[in-house]
Amino acid sequence: MRVPVSWLRDYVPIEMPLDELATRLSISTAEIEGIERRGVSDEDGNLGLFRIGKVVEAEKHPNADRLQLCRVDVGEGEPRQIVCGAWNFGAGATVAVALPGAVLPGGLTLDQRKVRGEPSNGMILAEDEIELGADHSGIMLLPETEPGTPLADVLPLTDDVLLVESTGNRPDLLSVYGIAREVAALYDLELAPPPGVDPEPAGDEPVDIAVDDLEGCPRYIGRLFRNVTIGPSPVWLKARLHAAGMRPISNVVDATNYVMLALGNPLHAFDLTTLGGGKIIVRRARPDETIRTLDGVERKLEEADLVIADAERAVAIAGIMGGEETEIGEGTTDVLLEAANFEPTGLYRTSERLRLRTEGSNRWEKGVDPYLAEQAAKLATELIVSTAGAEWTGHVDVQGQLPERPVISFRPERADELIGLETPPGEQTRLLERLGFEARDGDVVVPTFRARDVTREVDVVEEVARFRLEEVPFTLPARREMFGALTPIQKLRRRVEDVLAGLGLAETYTPSLRAEDPDPQALTLPEPLSAELATLRTRLLPSLVEAARRNSELGAESVALFEVARVYLPAAGLPDEHTHVAGIVEGGWSRAKGIVEALYAAVQAEAVFERTSDELLHPGKAASVGSGLVGELHPSLLEGAWGVFELDLATLLAETVELRYTDVITYPPVRQDLAFAVSDDVAAGDLVAAAREAAGPELRTMRAFDVYHGDQVGAGRKSIAFAVSFQSSERTLSDEDAAALRERIVAALAEKYGAELRA
Amino acid sequence: MTESRDTVARVDAEALQREALSAIEAASTANELDELRVRYLGRSSELKLALREVRDRETGMALNAVRVAIEAAVSSRQATLERAELDRALTEDVVDVTLPGDHLPLGHLHPITQTRREIEDAFLGLGYEVRDDREVETTEYNFDKLAFDPWHPARSQRATFFLDETHVLRTETSPSQIHAMEEREPPIYMVSIGRCYRRDAIDATHYPIFHQFEGLAVDRGLTLADLKGTLLHVMRALYGPDRRVRFRTHYFPFTEPSIEPDVSCGICGGAGCRTCKHSGWLEMGGAGMVDPRVLANVGIDHEDWSGFAFGCGIERVAQLKYDFPDIRPLWDGDLRVLRQF
Repeated sequence: MRVPVSWLRDYVPIEMPLDELATRLSISTAEIEGIERRGVSDEDGNLGLFRIGKVVEAEKHPNADRLQLCRVDVGEGEPRQIVCGAWNFGAGATVAVALPGAVLPGGLTLDQRKVRGEPSNGMILAEDEIELGADHSGIMLLPETEPGTPLADVLPLTDDVLLVESTGNRPDLLSVYGIAREVAALYDLELAPPPGVDPEPAGDEPVDIAVDDLEGCPRYIGRLFRNVTIGPSPVWLKARLHAAGMRPISNVVDATNYVMLALGNPLHAFDLTTLGGGKIIVRRARPDETIRTLDGVERKLEEADLVIADAERAVAIAGIMGGEETEIGEGTTDVLLEAANFEPTGLYRTSERLRLRTEGSNRWEKGVDPYLAEQAAKLATELIVSTAGAEWTGHVDVQGQLPERPVISFRPERADELIGLETPPGEQTRLLERLGFEARDGDVVVPTFRARDVTREVDVVEEVARFRLEEVPFTLPARREMFGALTPIQKLRRRVEDVLAGLGLAETYTPSLRAEDPDPQALTLPEPLSAELATLRTRLLPSLVEAARRNSELGAESVALFEVARVYLPAAGLPDEHTHVAGIVEGGWSRAKGIVEALYAAVQAEAVFERTSDELLHPGKAASVGSGLVGELHPSLLEGAWGVFELDLATLLAETVELRYTDVITYPPVRQDLAFAVSDDVAAGDLVAAAREAAGPELRTMRAFDVYHGDQVGAGRKSIAFAVSFQSSERTLSDEDAAALRERIVAALAEKYGAELRA
Repeated sequence: MTESRDTVARVDAEALQREALSAIEAASTANELDELRVRYLGRSSELKLALREVRDRETGMALNAVRVAIEAAVSSRQATLERAELDRALTEDVVDVTLPGDHLPLGHLHPITQTRREIEDAFLGLGYEVRDDREVETTEYNFDKLAFDPWHPARSQRATFFLDETHVLRTETSPSQIHAMEEREPPIYMVSIGRCYRRDAIDATHYPIFHQFEGLAVDRGLTLADLKGTLLHVMRALYGPDRRVRFRTHYFPFTEPSIEPDVSCGICGGAGCRTCKHSGWLEMGGAGMVDPRVLANVGIDHEDWSGFAFGCGIERVAQLKYDFPDIRPLWDGDLRVLRQF
C-alpha cells in the first residue's frame, strides 16, 4: 500500500524525520519498503516559485493557432504574460503557475523566453507536470483562491509516499487511517477521528436491498443519490489517488476509491437506472450464470460465488469486480452506493478460481471489519455530495448478527514470561489502549478492526512484544538437557563428500524433478511448472549424465561430478525417500571401480562386487556392490568412456564395520606372489573368497595385480597373479607355516575352481 | 734414552696444536686438507713420532689430546668442504619455481554443501540435533498441523506442487517441527535442513527447488529474548562477528509473536547500497514463538512449555556469503562455476 505522507498528516501530526518513522513502523507494524519522494523539489526556495494565478485575459496567440496568449495575475500587481498550449480555460480561471527559475519534477528549469515572438514569463501547469496526476489534456483548474497564494498551501506539491508492505493478518493497515492509528500509538500522538461526516439528507426514499446470504454478506448499507453530475474530481482528491497509485476516473468512482484507501473498506457505485427493478439482491450465483465485468471479460460463475444482483441478473461479483452494464458513466444521474461487508473465505475462493485479484478482493479476503461500513458510507456520501453536486436521498442498513468484540483474559506477567522482558502492567495497558483495546479487570476487549487477528492471550502478547521489540535483550536458553551431534548417517554423508572431493570429483546439485525417469512408475506432478520439472527421480545418474554432457559440450576437461541427494521410490502413500550418492567420471569402468573401492575403504566397509546388468550400464562392465551399482556408462547414452556409480547411503552405513586395531608390528608378515591358471569365466573375487575361507585370518591380504591371457595358459583360460601376505598376531610364521597356508589355498582353489598354481 | 727424551722435549704440544688447527681451518680444498692430515697426523708426522717415543703417562695424555683435537678439526673441515662442494654442484641444478607442480586431481564441495555445513556446525555448537526429514509430505504435516488457515494462499495449486489432494512437495522445512515434537517429549532443540519446493518461476533469485534450514526449540520458559540471542549467534556464525541483527514484527501461521530477522549489510556495513536496497539491512527469513495451536496439535501444553522457531533459505545465505548475483548457476552443474569453490 502506498501511503502519501500529506494524507497521513490529516489524521496524525507527523513531526519526526520520515526515515525514523519508517524504521519504527518496519519494526513494530509493517515493513516500509521505501519512501518515495515525489513532486516539486522544496530546496533553495523552489516552492516559492509556484503560485496561484488568476487568468485576467486569454486570447489566441497572434503567431500560432494552437497557443493562447494569457495575462495572469500571480499577486504581483502587474499580471504576467504567459503563453499556454491548453484551451480548457479562459479569463477568470484560477490556475497553477510556475515562475521562471522554477525547477519542475524531473529537473527541468523554467526560463524566461519568447514563444513564437511573444515573451512568456512562466508556465500554467497541467497536473502531470508537477506529478499530481497523469492527465495532460489540459491545465489544472483550481477553486477560486487569492492570486499569489503559494501553490504549496493549496496542493501537496512535494510529497513523500511510504511504501507499506503489510502482512495478511492486518487488513486494517491497508488504509491511510489504519497506518495513522499505528503511528499515533507508536509515538503516543493524538489521532484524529475517522474521516466522514454525514451531510444533511435531501430525502428519505426507500432503498430496495435484500440480502439472501447473510453469512457471505453480513452487512449491506445502500445509499441513494439523485441529481448527480459526473465529472472530474477536484485536483486535491485526484492528487491523492494518483500518489496512492490509483487512476482517477470520475468524481463518484474516485470517491469510492478514496474511501477504500482512506479507511480500508472497498465500496461500489451502481448507476441506479441500469439496475433491473431498481433493486439489489445479494445471493449466490445461479447455475450457468455469467457476468461481463468492468474489464470487459465475460465470466462464468459457479453456485458458490456470491454476487450482487438486481431483479434479473448478477451485476457484480461481490467484493471483487462490478459489472460493465451497471457501471457509472458520463451520463449517470442516479447512483446507488454499496458500503457492504463480505466474508473472506468464499470471496477468496471465487477470486482464486477466476484468477481475478483487485484492490477490493485483496482487502476482503483478509477480513474487513463489518463495523467499518458505516463510516465508509459517511465519508463516501460527504464526497459524492460535495464533488458531484449530488443529493443524498435514501439510506438502508441491512445486517445480520455482527460479531461481538472478543474479550480475552490477559495476564501481563504472561507477556513478560514469553517476551523475556519486563513491561509494567500499567504500561502494557496504556500501550494496548493506544491501539484501541480496552483493558478491564484481567480482560482485554479487542477493537472490531482487529477482531479476526487477536483472539487469544498470545495474540495480545504480540501487541506488547512488537512495541518493545528493539528493547528485548539477546539471551540464550538456559539448557538442562539435550546435546547436539551429527547422526551416523550425517557423519557418513560428510565423509563421502570429502572423500569424493579428495579424489577429484566436483560436487553438483541437480533438480529432483525431471522430464522423465527410468522407472515408469516414478511419481509425476499432475500440474508441473514445466515438462522438464515433472517427475520425481528414482535415480540420480540420469541427471549426472546430463550434467556431464553439458560440461563436455562446453569443453570441460577431466569431467568428474558427484551428487548427494534424495530419490523418491514409489510406494503406497508417501514415497520411500532414500539419500543416494552418485558420480560420473571420464575414464570408464576401472576409474569408477577405483573410486567406489576408495570410498568403501575410507568408510571402513567391505565391498563385494558381482556382475550385474542395468539399462544405464555397459552390459559387460556393470557390477553390483552392497549399496548400489558401479560400471561403465552405456555408450549409447554419452560419447566416450564414462565411469559411473550410484550408492544408497543408508545401505552403505549398514555395511561399515567398527574399527578395531590389528597387531601388524610384533610379528613380521610373509609375502608371496601366487599365480593361478583358471577358466576364463572364473572371477578373481571368487578365488579370493575361497582362499580366505581356506586359509583363515592369517591370510591378511590377497590382491590381484595381473591378468594374463596367452599360449602359456591355453585357450579359454587365464592366469591371475595375486600379491599375498600371511601374518599372525600371536607368533612369527615360519616358512613351514606359510607353506602350509599356501597348500590349503592351492588345494581349495583347485577343488572349487580347477585352478592350477603356476610356477 | 737421552735422545728420546730430547725428542719429546723438542715437541711443544700446545704450539703444534695451534699451528695445525689454524692450517686446517685455512685449507680450501680436499687435497690441501689431505696434505695437512698427512703432515700432522701421518705416520712420520712430528706428533706420531713423539707419541711413539713417549714414555711417561703425563706427556702421553697431553700428546693424545692434541691428536684428538687435530683429528676433529680435520673431520669438521672435511664436512664443511664437502658440503660446499655439493652446494656448488647443486647450484647447477636449478628449477623455475614458478612452473606448476605435479597435477593432482582436486575436487570441490558445492557452495550449498559448504554453507549447509557451516549452518550445521553453528547449531551443533549450540547443542542442537540436525534433522533431515522427508520432502514429500502430507497436507496434514505441511499445512494443517502447522496451523495454516484453510484459505492460506500457500494451500493453492498456484503456490504449491501437489502430487494429489493430500500429498505435496513440502513448501518449507517446517513439517520437521511436527515430526520432531511427535517423536519425543520436550526439551527439543533441532535444526532441519533440506530441499523445499514452491511454484516460483525461475529467475535470478527464485528457483522452484531451494534449500531451507529451520530451527526449533521447545523447553520450559523459552522467550522471545532467547530467540533473538540464538539468531544473533547463528547470523554471526554465518556472516562474521561484527554483524548486527535486528528484528521486525511479522506474521506466520505457525508462530505468535512472529518476527523477521535482518542482518546488517556486509557490503556497505549498514550505510546503504544496492545489495541491501539502500536500507542497510538484509532480510534473512522468518521466526517467532511457536503458536499455541501448533503445540496443541502435537499434544504439548503451551502453559508448561514454550518454543521458538525460525527458518531461512540456504541459497540466500550462500548468495550473500559468496556474492553471486544469480542463483541459477547453483543448479547448472557447470564445472567452470563448481571449480571456483
